[in-house]
Amino acid sequence: MFAPNSRRWFFAGARTALSGPAWYVGLSLMSTGALARAAAFPPEAAMLATALIWAGPGQVLFFGAMAAKTAPAAIAFAVSLSSARLLPMCLSVLPMLRGEKTRRSTLLLAAHFIAVTVWAESLRRLPGMEKSRRLPFFFGFALTCSGLTTLTTGVGYWLTAAVPAPLAAGLMMLSPFYFLAATARASREGADWLAIGAGAVLAPLTQAFVGGGFDLLALAIVAGAGAWLPGFFARRAAA
Amino acid sequence: MFEPLAFPYLAVVLVGFLPSEIWRWLSVVIAHRIDEESEALRLVRSVATALLVGVVVKIVSAPTRELAVAPLWARGGAFVFAAAAFFAFRRSVFAAIVAGEAAIIAGAWWWG
Repeated sequence: MFAPNSRRWFFAGARTALSGPAWYVGLSLMSTGALARAAAFPPEAAMLATALIWAGPGQVLFFGAMAAKTAPAAIAFAVSLSSARLLPMCLSVLPMLRGEKTRRSTLLLAAHFIAVTVWAESLRRLPGMEKSRRLPFFFGFALTCSGLTTLTTGVGYWLTAAVPAPLAAGLMMLSPFYFLAATARASREGADWLAIGAGAVLAPLTQAFVGGGFDLLALAIVAGAGAWLPGFFARRAAA
Repeated sequence: MFEPLAFPYLAVVLVGFLPSEIWRWLSVVIAHRIDEESEALRLVRSVATALLVGVVVKIVSAPTRELAVAPLWARGGAFVFAAAAFFAFRRSVFAAIVAGEAAIIAGAWWWG
């Protein structure tokens, strides 16, 4: 898959991951191990979920809804909706990785690793890098993040039962803090901030008044469309 | 009909992995012909952002046993600390997490 000298760049990517981001996402997603335990899943299933789903909000949603005995079809729908954000993330990274001879199977594999952490670091580091080095660097970085987090998920499964209650509470809050901060960090325009604000204001209302497990869907559509509309009309007026 | 205890791995693959991964597959298919500035993509981005916030609010307002040791106002208050640190340290994700964690652990310690 790689050119001969690209092993160096693979390890450069791995080192970059170990210098911070991999620990960071690994620690944040430890709480999904605890959530899996609360949902009566075995630790191996929690680790499999990290390796396969590799999307924090989707994993949190999956185990949270499983613990609440939500219907599987409704969970699949909610998980899919929460992962829709991966589409624009992948679309903004893949063109940077694609060369003239890059196979589609390579891109499919690369796309699997794109989630908040890998996306944010890719946007930051890939543009200044020679094109032939990007793919090995990307895979070194992404595999390290995913591998370490799969291990910490297993650790989190057991750890939350062994640590004092206040620390366990702190562990459960890691991913909410991380997701909100990373989303705010990636916000580039007014619509992003509007979506965050509208989501926060409307969430208690939809939780109180929309039943049947559709409150998140209703919230996402109403707050999301509401945040997108002002910009849409502004761009139309300007065009 | 469907028991998570009996099929945990199947559940992870069918209910977690596939519904999520489909967006990544779709991105590979359309990556070379979609306009990054299109309105559809902007709408998807906003909907996804609002959804993520909804997920966070749900975790905080309907907490697990571990998180419920901290009272609701402490859970909400921790976000105020996290947001303050985030902006005080030039949109630092790390600062937000450290401040938020310190607040929630202290809250659970004293009022839990």
